[in-house]
Amino acid sequence: MKLKTSQSIAGFTLSEMLVSLSLSSIVLAAAITCGISLQKSFAATDNYFSTQMQQIRIIDYLNRDVKRGLIVTTSVDLQSVTLNLPNYIIQAGDPEAIADPETIGTPRTPTVVYTASGWQVNYSPSTTTVVYSISGNSILRTENGVVTTIASSTDQLVPATTDVDLANTEYASTSVTFSPIFTSSGAVAERTGTSLYATAYLRNKRRG
Amino acid sequence: MRISQRTSECGNVLLCVLCTILVVSIIGGNVLLNCMTRYNVVSSQVRSWKESLDAAETGGDIAYAEVRKTILDPTHAFSSWTYSGGAYTNSPVTYGTDNLTTSSRADPFYYDGNGNAWYRIRTKGTAPVLGLKRVGMDDRMGPNTRGDSLLRKIDFNYDHFVATYGPNGDGIGQTLLPVSTPQVSRRIELIAAPITPFEAAIKAGGTFYGLGSAAYIDSFRSSTGPYDASVKTNPSDPRYADSHAGTVQIDASVATIMGYIYGNVYTNGGTVTKNTTSISGIIDNNVPFSLSPFIMPSTSLWNFVSSPTAVTGSTNITPPAPGTAESPNYYLMTSFATNGNLTVNPATTVVNGVPQVQETYVAIHVTGDIGTSSGSGPMITIPAHVHLDVYFDGNFQTKAENIINTSGYAGNLQFYGISPTDPSVQQTVNLNSGGGSTAGFSAVFYTPSANFTINGGPDITGAIVCKNFYTNGNVHWHYDRTLDSEGNAVDYRVISYVEDIR
Repeated sequence: MKLKTSQSIAGFTLSEMLVSLSLSSIVLAAAITCGISLQKSFAATDNYFSTQMQQIRIIDYLNRDVKRGLIVTTSVDLQSVTLNLPNYIIQAGDPEAIADPETIGTPRTPTVVYTASGWQVNYSPSTTTVVYSISGNSILRTENGVVTTIASSTDQLVPATTDVDLANTEYASTSVTFSPIFTSSGAVAERTGTSLYATAYLRNKRRG
Repeated sequence: MRISQRTSECGNVLLCVLCTILVVSIIGGNVLLNCMTRYNVVSSQVRSWKESLDAAETGGDIAYAEVRKTILDPTHAFSSWTYSGGAYTNSPVTYGTDNLTTSSRADPFYYDGNGNAWYRIRTKGTAPVLGLKRVGMDDRMGPNTRGDSLLRKIDFNYDHFVATYGPNGDGIGQTLLPVSTPQVSRRIELIAAPITPFEAAIKAGGTFYGLGSAAYIDSFRSSTGPYDASVKTNPSDPRYADSHAGTVQIDASVATIMGYIYGNVYTNGGTVTKNTTSISGIIDNNVPFSLSPFIMPSTSLWNFVSSPTAVTGSTNITPPAPGTAESPNYYLMTSFATNGNLTVNPATTVVNGVPQVQETYVAIHVTGDIGTSSGSGPMITIPAHVHLDVYFDGNFQTKAENIINTSGYAGNLQFYGISPTDPSVQQTVNLNSGGGSTAGFSAVFYTPSANFTINGGPDITGAIVCKNFYTNGNVHWHYDRTLDSEGNAVDYRVISYVEDIR
């Protein structure tokens, strides 16, 4: 009697195994590569959008301060902006606060003076100084010495502000760029392609 | 013999498929979560933050329009607003497809030396935050840094400003005020300052002809010393800059300029003819402006004095009290005869038994003409310490030497021509100096609807605003730069902007 070999439980030949292992390896390698690429793309895209949000935030911070600023001055390299703002709120230590502590945290009533250049509204003899600057990967806002990081990214955020002083008005033009982490060569075009522009006018133009 | 297939092999396939779906779902969900967060921030939160400022500034515009009405349309100014505690407030206004809301408060916080009110306008703008009701801000900058939440303060359940600082931001009345939907509110404060009329030596809303060929317009600043004719040709004099501000503004296309102008000349899209080389400053042909009709200011706060009611012959006025710029002694005159000779004396108060002269403020409203074309013309005299404003409904005709302002400061004697309500009526002001007289006056005229004529060659210190200007005499005109802060407000401008970022 000759036993009949069942094909359904037959093993693979060595050649079949080699072929299948090779194919499996290729498929697995492709899958892993795809996965890693997807993960990298996702991280890069996530980072890109996150940095874009920070671009918007830098612009929003700066424009808010420029609008209410008395004087705006930009540095020669355009990467540092100094603003003088009215002291609207009475702070602890201010003369009014020393005279009456109840006034801390309340808005000031402005005073009006006539100068050689016309009428001037002052909330306080002194002003608040705000400086925007770059420190490493962070954008800093320093108000009377108190530092706040308003944006931070490994994508090398770079704001550049130009202060334009005209006869009867003044404005600050700002652009913020960054270099996306997935760029291959760091080409200039890749940075400029991320540019976000904004212009804000001083509502309280004051010089001299 | 038949060996059946093991079901566990089917199970492995199902498990693999489920795992794959799970992994793909996690990736998809993560992507979706990130997208939604960004969308939520950009489309809802950032947009609402920006729109709330737009709403606040709209509230500022609404209040500013009411402030302007106090000059241009006094009977309707703040007509639907509530006045309480020295401030006007309006009901919240909702507008736009995004249902932005704004409310405003305006209070006159300061009165200048002319009695003009300065208004502080505080407005609040609110924009609803649509989309997901969650804090999902993108503030991943560092372990201790929350950039967005410092910048954009969103009220999800309660108004944080009212809870922390009170409704007016002064620390009074803090309370937990629920909000119906998430919202962003921003608050700004504007200062509306009065625009006074005498910002140039001569301002003509229509045509301009003059001055005589030997005439000139120069300037000085009385706060730094009296007028000195030699300063304008001496660049080393520290007052030299102030001597070259005799500006002429014309809202017409053609300006016939003669004589010398130590200042600038502005026209509205036109050309300057004749002596353009005798203009020391710039010629700018792109400076349009408009002069609104002048309306009699509100007299509700003025101290009405019932007598006299007309100026006929020699008439002396000595007010019962000094008054103030905001609340002067007010006389209502039905006529001012051409032979009228009005003298306004300062009020005195007795201190320790000794009469002392006071700075005295007087306003006279003449409902008809001042003088006529016949006779020598009416005379007006004010000694030092008197600040006289004369309002007239009709025409004004006299000689330049009949206007006597002993103090020499033009701001102390101000004439206002009330614009005729009938547009077919042409108001006129004629100041004729006959016989070669060079005697002049120190005064200012704001007559935006009047044709203004000066004949002869008087020596004038002051400023004039009129419709059409004509002179053919050799006038010597000295504009006092301190006049740019003198006079009744003719409009308002916003000169200060502050945002309460708390």
